Amino acid sequence: MTTNNDALIQVQHLGKSFDRLDVLKDITVDIHKGDVVCVIGPSGSGKSTFLRCLNRLEEPSSGKIFFEGVDITDPKTDIDRHRQKMGMVFQQFNLFPHMTIMRNLTIAPMKLQGRSQREAEEEARKLLDRVGLGDRANSYPSQLSGGQKQRIAIVRALCMRPEVMLFDEPTSALDPEMVGEVLNVMRDLARERMTMVVVTHEMGFAREVATRVMFMDGGYFLEENAPAKFFANPRNERLKNFLSKVL
Amino acid sequence: MSEKFRADFYQNFIEDDRWKYIVNGLGNTIKITLFAVLLGIALGFLVAIIRSTFEKTGKLKLLNLLCRVYLTVIRGTPVLIQLLLIYFVVFGSVRIDKSLVAILAFGINSGAYVAEIFRSGIMSIDNGQLEAGRSLGFNYSQTMIYIIMPQAFKNVLPALGNEFIVLLKETSVAGYIAIQDLTKGADIIRSRTYSAFMPLMAAAVIYLVMVMIFTYFVQRLERRLRSSDH
Repeated sequence: MTTNNDALIQVQHLGKSFDRLDVLKDITVDIHKGDVVCVIGPSGSGKSTFLRCLNRLEEPSSGKIFFEGVDITDPKTDIDRHRQKMGMVFQQFNLFPHMTIMRNLTIAPMKLQGRSQREAEEEARKLLDRVGLGDRANSYPSQLSGGQKQRIAIVRALCMRPEVMLFDEPTSALDPEMVGEVLNVMRDLARERMTMVVVTHEMGFAREVATRVMFMDGGYFLEENAPAKFFANPRNERLKNFLSKVL
Repeated sequence: MSEKFRADFYQNFIEDDRWKYIVNGLGNTIKITLFAVLLGIALGFLVAIIRSTFEKTGKLKLLNLLCRVYLTVIRGTPVLIQLLLIYFVVFGSVRIDKSLVAILAFGINSGAYVAEIFRSGIMSIDNGQLEAGRSLGFNYSQTMIYIIMPQAFKNVLPALGNEFIVLLKETSVAGYIAIQDLTKGADIIRSRTYSAFMPLMAAAVIYLVMVMIFTYFVQRLERRLRSSDH
């Protein structure tokens, strides 16, 4: 099933429950090419679950998600093929510890997209240079700091040339002095008009980089706006309350 | 003293070419162990994959149940009884190479232990690794092969080496179905010469040396695989 809507990702009445706990209740949202969507909200509000439903790391309980016009919630969809175009960055980095950085970056493009080793390594090297880690190609993940690991994780996803990047609290597991280096990489990506969905607690980043900010609580999107209005004139009571605590 | 030792040695090993019992026995022991290990690893790998796939995804329910029955029965009964049952009951009415019976019995037995070793290795890998693999577009099997298994194998190598050692020594009960393995060979010499010390010690030393050589290689492999932890 396809739609005519030109949104890159179209979420319709998405719901997700774990046992009897409804984590997501009726989420509907369109994400367009070039959007940088920051999702904020208190812990347990369903932000991460929402993000993980987008590439079906969590199976949605109800509703539909269209990616490039294809219903990826349809069990007949080859989700692995669509995931190749949806890069994901995790809070805990999840680099492959038994592989060198270069292998971490090239294994998926080589095995899944049939690229030659030379081509894959060339592209990986370019991206490594761009995030300032060109000299770490032959290191193992355990030799890197948290901030370096997360930059590598971003590069790993980028090596698949994704259409959209999903970030699941990418700076929450980092020491404070390493947050900046990761946010800088993400800022550059946003500048290049990469479509991004970012679950984050970094209000400064959301205000500066996002094209849209969404507030989630209790399994609903309660408010959405351009960042300037979102932070200056919140309308929803719970959002006001939340912002008064975190800003 | 040394005169007596020399005489004993001559009687037990040289006279009537009795050393051949040891050498042929050793050959049988190595043959049975080697093939049983291969069978055990293949079986154990298969069972571990089925069990951990069930635990991670809820699929393969029926196969998982079958595997659990296999594990319970094999781990709950002595290997010697299993060997005797396979020889006298399963193949009771057919002529079959006894070594093959031993390989089957020890392989099936070892497979149960190897399965649990592999499974613990797979389950010890953080779920984030599976998710990272899947998020890149790898399917479940590819993620297992490229990402989970290599890490799991490294984690379980010491336990796997231990299982090999146990299996090597367990084959010493093969004599119960009249296979002339190393232990049986030594015991035959004892029954001929009425001197127990020398042939049994010879067998013991040979087992010990085999285990030590094997341990040395496992440790080298471990060191090599550890090159990614710094």
